[in-house]
Amino acid sequence: MGSKTEALAKQFEKVFDDLELVIGWETGFDSLHATPAFIRQPSALGRLIWNPFCSHNLSGYLTKTLNATAQEDAKKIGICVKGCDSRSVVALIQEKFISRERLYIAGIPCRGTVDLRRLMRLKPSLKDVNTVHIEGNELAVETARQTHRFPLQDVLLRKCLQCRYPNPVLYDELIGEPLTPRVTEGQAPPFVDKLEAHSLEQRRVFWERELDRCIRCYACRNACPLCVCQDNCILESRMPKWLSQRSGMSEKFFFHMIHAVHLAGRCTECGECERVCPMEIPVALMKEKLNQVVKELLDYEAGLNPETQPPLLTFDPSETGI
Amino acid sequence: MKSEAASTPEQELRIVGFLCNWCSYGGADTAGICRFKQPTDLRIIRIPCTGRMDPLFAVKALIYGADGVLVSGCHPKDCHYAVGNYYARRRMEVLKRFLPFIGIDTGRFRYSWVSASEGQLWQQVVKEFSEQIHRLGANPGLHEKIDVEASLFLF
Repeated sequence: MGSKTEALAKQFEKVFDDLELVIGWETGFDSLHATPAFIRQPSALGRLIWNPFCSHNLSGYLTKTLNATAQEDAKKIGICVKGCDSRSVVALIQEKFISRERLYIAGIPCRGTVDLRRLMRLKPSLKDVNTVHIEGNELAVETARQTHRFPLQDVLLRKCLQCRYPNPVLYDELIGEPLTPRVTEGQAPPFVDKLEAHSLEQRRVFWERELDRCIRCYACRNACPLCVCQDNCILESRMPKWLSQRSGMSEKFFFHMIHAVHLAGRCTECGECERVCPMEIPVALMKEKLNQVVKELLDYEAGLNPETQPPLLTFDPSETGI
Repeated sequence: MKSEAASTPEQELRIVGFLCNWCSYGGADTAGICRFKQPTDLRIIRIPCTGRMDPLFAVKALIYGADGVLVSGCHPKDCHYAVGNYYARRRMEVLKRFLPFIGIDTGRFRYSWVSASEGQLWQQVVKEFSEQIHRLGANPGLHEKIDVEASLFLF
């Protein structure tokens, strides 16, 4: 993986003259944490890293903090994307929130990113990490004293366990060789099936227990690259007033329904909502189910082709059966 | 927020109907003028077009305790605004298939197409849907206190 980090920096160095800035990952406050990096000087490109801790989807910054729409004389924005992140970029291009011409995309085939909370539960004493990489079905974490190995099943983010798009679908330069997906096309999301195996009553109780923990911090909404309404989000609008400040089960439930329904047929399953949830609620699960429904009904998967339109934003008069 | 499990047949339940101004609202009116007898559980909200129907209207009603939600508009190809119901039927069908995942019976939600002249059809839709809701009983709603014993631990 070290070689990919170098390749990434080298690639951006080559094209930096055309770029306004590069969005990537760098080492955070300690060696276990990666953090988003915004690099405006070519001399700082050495800060860029790539390893399984780089779980953030950086595409949200293209709309929320930067403006990546087409502008005259504007330089390009360089961005690092994994497979899942590239789908978010495609979705944003589809809906014309960003312009393909403004982007220089470095795509990184990715074997999965680490859920730090799961890793820390397995090995709370882990620190002073030198390198971390994925070897076969294991995560190898090399510290100053020894190398720890963990089965991928136990430490990856939930979305990575069911990842079907490890390779970026849209890029200017691919860093490294394409990988074979862990889950093949046509396989239903395993976690959705797990819940669907239970009765209606049990499913409701499941969501009650999960959503009861919700503190309505809105982190899931803020982290979502496709939650694009920003200051106009209906959660906080007073007129019309969709949701009160009361913190009961109905409000928590409805908040998550708003997020899920607004992402129907748009969610690219980057898993940011779930990763940032401080209460560890599997919020992405609702969107996975909605995507499954959209796939069955309208044969559409979000974020694969910049030329198509999300099916719920359009219609087809010749449709039958619904 | 109600806790009663099932309703007696005589008990009136609450069905929220979202009807498009141009067809189904007219259809309901026709049914009334013709004095077609209908169950009384339905409360009608008039919307300009089913294209105005945000799936979240239905979700909110169901979460906050409505026993059923009925959406009705012009037949496809007959929309007053040409295409509103084409958008609507995709949204409604996606919602219908999603509801069971969060533990809401899909039978509590229905969408139909009834034109302004179809009073008879309207009577039939209301009758069938009301009967269906009565079979399902009152909406159990969400519990403010969670039942840890009955919970699933999937993750």
